[in-house]
Order: sequence, then C-alpha cells, then structure tokens
Amino acid sequence: MHTRLITPLLIVAATLPLGGCAISIGDRGAPTPAAAAPARAATLAIRFEGIETPKGQIMLSVFDNAAAHDQNGAPVRVAAVPVEGTTALATFEGLAPGDYAVKAFHDLDGDGKMGSNPFGMPLEPFAFSNDAKAQGGPPRWEAARFPVAAGANAIRIAIK
Amino acid sequence: MLDRRELLCRGMLAAGAAAMPSMLAAQIKPAADWTLGLTDVLEDIAPRPLTRLHGRAPALTGTLYRNGPARFRRGASSVSHWFDGDGLVRAWRIAGERTSLAARFVDTPKRRIEERLGAIVQPGFGTPARSGNELGGPDDANAANTHVIAAGGQLLALWEAGSPFALDPETLATRGPVTFRPDLAQMPFLAHPRIEPSGRIWNIGSGGDHAFIWRLSPTGQFEAGKTIRLPMASYMHDFTATARHLVILCQPWVQTSSHVPYIQSLEWQPERGTRVLVIDKDDLTKRREYELPPLFFFHLGDAWEEADGTIRFDGCFHKDPVFPILGASALVEGRHEHGEMPALTLVTLRPDGRADLAPAGITAEFPRAAPEIAGLPRSQTVFVGDYGNDRPFARVVGIWDWDRGRADRFDFGAQQLVEEFVPAGDHLIGTTLNLAAGASELHVFDARRIADGPVVSWCSDVALPLTFHGSWVA
Repeated sequence: MHTRLITPLLIVAATLPLGGCAISIGDRGAPTPAAAAPARAATLAIRFEGIETPKGQIMLSVFDNAAAHDQNGAPVRVAAVPVEGTTALATFEGLAPGDYAVKAFHDLDGDGKMGSNPFGMPLEPFAFSNDAKAQGGPPRWEAARFPVAAGANAIRIAIK
Repeated sequence: MLDRRELLCRGMLAAGAAAMPSMLAAQIKPAADWTLGLTDVLEDIAPRPLTRLHGRAPALTGTLYRNGPARFRRGASSVSHWFDGDGLVRAWRIAGERTSLAARFVDTPKRRIEERLGAIVQPGFGTPARSGNELGGPDDANAANTHVIAAGGQLLALWEAGSPFALDPETLATRGPVTFRPDLAQMPFLAHPRIEPSGRIWNIGSGGDHAFIWRLSPTGQFEAGKTIRLPMASYMHDFTATARHLVILCQPWVQTSSHVPYIQSLEWQPERGTRVLVIDKDDLTKRREYELPPLFFFHLGDAWEEADGTIRFDGCFHKDPVFPILGASALVEGRHEHGEMPALTLVTLRPDGRADLAPAGITAEFPRAAPEIAGLPRSQTVFVGDYGNDRPFARVVGIWDWDRGRADRFDFGAQQLVEEFVPAGDHLIGTTLNLAAGASELHVFDARRIADGPVVSWCSDVALPLTFHGSWVA
C-alpha cells in the first residue's frame, strides 16, 4: 500500500518527485557546453524561495519535452545549488528557446539523494515549476511547463 | 451485459461508484432511519453528563474511547465511501455514578484543508481526489478515523495508510502525527495493532506485496521494524498474532495497479485463493504459509497456539468484497446495498500444513477478546451481529463460545444500531445509537450474563454517527 506504496493513496505520494530527480551531487555539469550554444541561446535563472530549513542544497532537473518529463526520461540539465538563508539560485546558460519544466527537491542532509521511507515515500521538501502541485504523483508536463525565450529568463519556485 | 461479479473481477465497480458526481451524491436524501448512523457532526462535542436509563453502575472506573468517521459532507460535496469521513474521537467516561461524554475531531491536514475550502477534496480509500486537493503524502489524506488506543500516556487515533495521530487523553486535543523514527515518517500503520498482555505492540504497514512489521514498546516507542515480502499484494485491514507468531491473512482482493482512490487499484481474483503467512516474532525470516479458499475479510480475532503447534483464530468472513466496493459507498448516500453477511469462522492451521475453516453459523463483526489473554488460548469471542437485510448494521451483542458452539447474546431490537463492544474486566462495555430516541447510548453488561441485558445503560443528548473501533482504558 513499494511497490504499492502504501495504502490508499500512497501510491500517490510514493511515486512523487523521484522521477528525474535522481541526480548525484557530482552532476553539476551542463551537458551542453556554452561554446556549442546556438546564437540566440537563452539563459534561465531559477530562484527557489520559502525554504524553511537553511541548510543543504536544492537539487533540480530541467526537462525540455513532455515524454522525458512525464515518463521518467532524462533531463536536459541538472544542478545542485547551495541553500543560502531562505533562498537558492540556479542558473543555466546556453538553452535553446522553448518550453521547459523543473523538478526539484531540498536535499536537507546533503547526501545527494531524496530521502525516503522504506516504501519509497519522499521525506524531503520538493517543488515543481509553476509551483504545480503533486496530485497522485509529480505534476504533468502541461502543468509544469513554462516558456523560455532567447535572452534572459527568470522564474521563481516555492519549495517547502 | 456485465454482471456484478464480472465488474468486481475487472475492478470496475469502484470506478463507477467513485465517478458519481458529488453534487448528485449530496442531493440524495436519506431514505431510512438507520441513516442517522452516518449523520454529520459539525463541531466538537463539549463534555456533558449522561442520563442513567436503568440499572446500577458497577465498580468500574475508566474511559471508553471510540473512533469513527463523523463528517461526510461539506456544501454540495460528499465523501464517496463510509471509510473516508473525518475521525471523531469520543470519550465515554465512567467514575461510579458519574458519567460523561465528550468528542473531538482529530485535527488532520485533510480536515484543515476541507474546513478551509468548505468542500470534500482530499482523496481517500474510496473517495477520488477533487479540485483543490493537496496531497504531498499519505498523511495529507489521513482521516485518523478507524481506531483509538492508549500507549505511553497518550491516545493514538489510527487509520491504516499513514501515521497514527497522537491525542491528549483528557482534552482529546490533537498533538499531531507520530513519527516513530525520522526515516519512517508517513509509513502505513494499520488500525489494528496486536497488543500483547505485556503491552508490547505489534503492527504491520501494508504496501502492495510487501509489509513493514512494526514492534513498539508498551509506551509506544519504536523498538524494531523490518520490511517483509507477502505472498500477494492483498488489501489488508487487519492481521492477528499468537504469543509467538504473527499471522497475516492475504486475501485475493489484490492491488493490480496504482490509482487514486486506492479502492480502484484492487481486483477480486478468487482463483488465487487465500494465503496465510505465519512469521516467528523472534526471527522474522522464519516463515511458513498455508492455503485457504478465497474469502474477503476486514477483521480477525486474536490467535492462539496449542501445544502441538496448531494455530487457531477467528475472523468475520465474506464471500467477496461487494460490501467495501458497493455497500460502504451506498451507505453515505442513504442506500442499503445488500452484500453477504459476515460469517464468524474459526481458522485452524495445523502442524502438517493443512488449514481449514469452521463456520460458527452466525453473522458477526467486530470480534474482540480480553486484552489480558491476547495471543493465548481462549474459547470466547465478543461480537456484534444478527446482520439482516432490513438495515446494514448489527442489532445484537454477544459472546460466542467455540467450545460450546453457542452464543450468549442480547438483542437490542430494531431501534438500536449496535456498535463494537469491548471487554472491561468482568464486563462488556459498548455503545449504541438509539434511533427512536435519536441519541447515542452507553451500556455495560455482566460478561457472564449477556442475555440478561445491560446491567446499566446511560443515554447522551446527542446522536453521533456509528464508530468503528475503540479501547477501554481503566
């Protein structure tokens, strides 16, 4: 009720934000070198707000298509950024303009993994772009997607 | 056209029931008196004295704590299942001739969210998630509405898919969800822990084809826990235990998918039969299995072991899960869907690997036995029963004796809905909802003479919806 995560709804929560967030602490690199960025590349600054415990790091995955986002596919970028007070800032350069979505969690203990109970229920704070809510699992691409245009872009995500 | 059994097997009935528009559900008028048993309580019940109806109070001092769903509807919306109402913990206090009743809702995230919105939005066992729901984990849907036990100087209001909620035993104020260890937050914890005479608590948390075995000290502190594999991903509401073994009955109502509400994840697969897993309390890797015919159940009695290793326990068995799929949803709408009646049945697991069933020949539910002999040999089972087709609830309380093959019982009559009774020393104590009086009542029986009727009864000035389970705390 680990498969079955729990009972009633648990299922829900158990599969929550894990998809795409399984990044290790060493995965800071951007797969797309800046040098290879298209001429009209975009930058994206993501500011995480409302952090209740001022320690650890925010680990996030950025997706650029529905299939990867909704079906545990590979993110286009990942990052781990330190928490500073109640905020944290992640910046990506060299993105192709288009739609993106973000899955993130607050790695409170700094072990690089989403803490979970024996049945896989996430036990550390998590959040999604558009502040989309988990409803029986991570939100779908349609709820979390946002546009990134050429040039500078900035979004905010409340994580708690 | 598909018949009901085909729908059950395909797991489609629940989907259909849950799909009923909430507006429609809320507009259906109760059609029979028994619907008082699913009425809404709008606010906490302040402490109030009871009025003695007859008899004389025995030397009995303590509190009967009881828990059950008591808020089913908000605005135009309603839960889709009896099991999804907000838990209201009642305290029926007895100190000689002085008696009182108070009740307080468990202050859960689910209740807070729905109070704020004025609508039922959180998903549950059989209620779908609706617009505005907030679900970060199981405890956001925790109704804390199934049982209440005392441990370590506090009460634990229990659900089954999430944490116990701790309450103050005097004020019934909610202290919050209990996390036994940080990495065990939000783990499932069934509403039917097995408590040894020493006070040590065993429980399981059910998760598909795995279960987490909980062992707590008599004061409710975490002692040990371990995940084990089950024979199949059965729906699990209860298990049982002898002094030396845990006995886990895996029924063929199995999770085959992951849906919200949970009931839509289950399929009735009678061809798989029922499996019984027996595990050594001292070494959870030591296990053996038995096979039984397909059956559906919610509740088991305490188990015991004989000198040759034979294990016996009783249970209240249905032929299939029509009641939780159809019956318990219909109750909220004021309809009585007929399902098979629960049959009190003795299960025997023999040392040679054989297992068999022996029906008592009565309908019964809410089996209880004296806590002083939990896990030890016994012949008596407290029950409520005489389920009939005129209404969905019990009208009789009794003690079934497996040695004598008969029950000592008392019929409260057609105007009383009988809730679970529990042993309290030489007495049985429990509550009813008197439909004629429109009031909840408290009764005490001499456990040796049930047929004589209650030795004392009190009435309250409120009609509270029916409870599921509770504990006598002396």
